Amino acid sequence: MSFLEIFQYTRQDSIIHRLDPRSKLFLTLVCAIISLLFLDIIPLLIIFASLLPLLAAAKSLRRWAKSMKGLLVLLVFIMVFNTLLSTGPYPFSYSVSLTLRLVALMTSFSLFFLTVHPDELSQALIQMRVRFEFAFAMSMAMRYVPTLGHEAYAIMDAQRSRGVELDKGNFVQRVRNIIPIIVPLIIVSIRRALSIAESMESRGFGASENRTYMERLQFRRRDWSLVIVSLGVLVTVLYLRFIVGLPDLFLWNIGF
Amino acid sequence: MALVKFDDFSYKYYGADSLALKKINLTIDNGEYVVITGPSGCGKTTLCRAINGLVPRFHRGYIAGHVYVDEKDTREHEVAHFAAIAGLVFQNPENQLVTLNVEKEIAFGPENLGVNPVEVRRRVEEIIDLLDLEHLRDKHPHEMSGGEQQRVAMAATLALNPQILVADEPTSNLDPKSAEKILEIISTLNKRGMTVVLVEHRLDLVAKEATRVVLMDRGRIVADGTPTEVLVADICQDIGVGIPKATEIYKRLNAKGLRLGSVPLTGEELALLIQEGTV
Ligand SMILES: Nc1ncnc2c1ncn2[C@@H]1O[C@H](COP(=O)(O)OP(=O)(O)OP(=O)(O)O)[C@@H](O)[C@H]1O
Ligand SMILES: [Mg+2]
Repeated sequence: MSFLEIFQYTRQDSIIHRLDPRSKLFLTLVCAIISLLFLDIIPLLIIFASLLPLLAAAKSLRRWAKSMKGLLVLLVFIMVFNTLLSTGPYPFSYSVSLTLRLVALMTSFSLFFLTVHPDELSQALIQMRVRFEFAFAMSMAMRYVPTLGHEAYAIMDAQRSRGVELDKGNFVQRVRNIIPIIVPLIIVSIRRALSIAESMESRGFGASENRTYMERLQFRRRDWSLVIVSLGVLVTVLYLRFIVGLPDLFLWNIGF
Repeated sequence: MALVKFDDFSYKYYGADSLALKKINLTIDNGEYVVITGPSGCGKTTLCRAINGLVPRFHRGYIAGHVYVDEKDTREHEVAHFAAIAGLVFQNPENQLVTLNVEKEIAFGPENLGVNPVEVRRRVEEIIDLLDLEHLRDKHPHEMSGGEQQRVAMAATLALNPQILVADEPTSNLDPKSAEKILEIISTLNKRGMTVVLVEHRLDLVAKEATRVVLMDRGRIVADGTPTEVLVADICQDIGVGIPKATEIYKRLNAKGLRLGSVPLTGEELALLIQEGTV
């Protein structure tokens, strides 16, 4: 699952990390929209090349590269399949563009998720008028997923030591083997959820209509600048794409 | 009126077949350090839950009698209403840490109650300082040991500025050293004027600091008094509550007709008494 790390927050101190999540979200969406506007190799390469400096500014280039390497097999797979199945005039060229677009999209989103702490994300959601309960549920999911993982492993060990053979048999047998893991896991989780709820209730969760927040996110000058620049880029690209039209050079394809 | 007053309070969990608490009468005054002890399943946790209204508000069941906390009937107010009066710390620290770092955790309670952000920040800094949590400030619960987690859980409760700290076996998942540290913090808080209710099995660790020991058995309070009064009573052995070694020796000597001047609760006290006796 190392390729998922491309969307996992990493603690760093960089210009990008210090930006407000909302302005970063805007940047990411603009990058994603631009990637979706094109299906030719040259423009997509340009988009991709302009995302790299942003990653570098976030000091996350190496991490990004590492998880990309993990994704390489998948990308080649997509490319081959698309070439074989596509009915257009230039199947290979087309699937290279598709893959490039996918990479550009993933890179745009990883720019956001690599640099936004889950706490900041939930605070951003709250300040974007999402109800506190929902935003908090999301951050709690992040909090307890590792705990659940540990618990699952503990139960697996316990069942193995009682003679349950988890990794044996055919497919059906293996699916059946999940039951002695899942059932205790659900029971344990419900119990845990009750005791978490008890603790939260004791600390006034949901008590006041006017919940306060120790720290609120602030949109600073640099955030406004980022939003304005991204908006400018988006408008320019839209103008070039739809009103002016791309020069022939940009429509080059591999030829088969 | 007393800070906490149980008035003939009985309680049965929904679906259970016996009473968890039977006709409890108990008053706790400001500044006391009450240790509650008794065999497993005797109702200690239920008693703690009754002090902030979790029983009967969160855990449904059948009730008789009343509990008054800060002169308010727990039947008539929400749990949140008691959050700033009685702070509960539970046994398992993992289930009490619901946010992704320590600062947020401490701020969670007061934020819920709508405390002004400047004041929340002030409390967070004060408590980080008080409980020596500076080095943990940005840590995820997973990056902390059990003892550290429990200290953070206690910090998160104290941030509500409660008048009473109710701690339900806060040390049972910890190694002896971390346990001692938690108990030390609790006794320091008590000396600063906080009322403490602590559920604890290891009486040798707490008997010296406590002002009062309440012994429970099968939903009833069977003994209630100063640590020395309760611990020398024979009922302790009858229901299988472990008393400090020093007190046990005192009792045996007593049975053999050898009377020491007072009841020792720790080894040191015993040694001192024997020294006095031989000089
Ligand atoms: N949520 C619940 N639902 C139903 N019955 C419960 C619940 N919690 C506790 N009980 C029952 O109530 C009685 C008292 O339990 P309680 O947890 O208060 O005991 P305790 O003294 O804290 O025990 P321990 O030392 O094991 O923590 C027990 O018989 C228990 O089975
Ligand atoms: Mg208990």
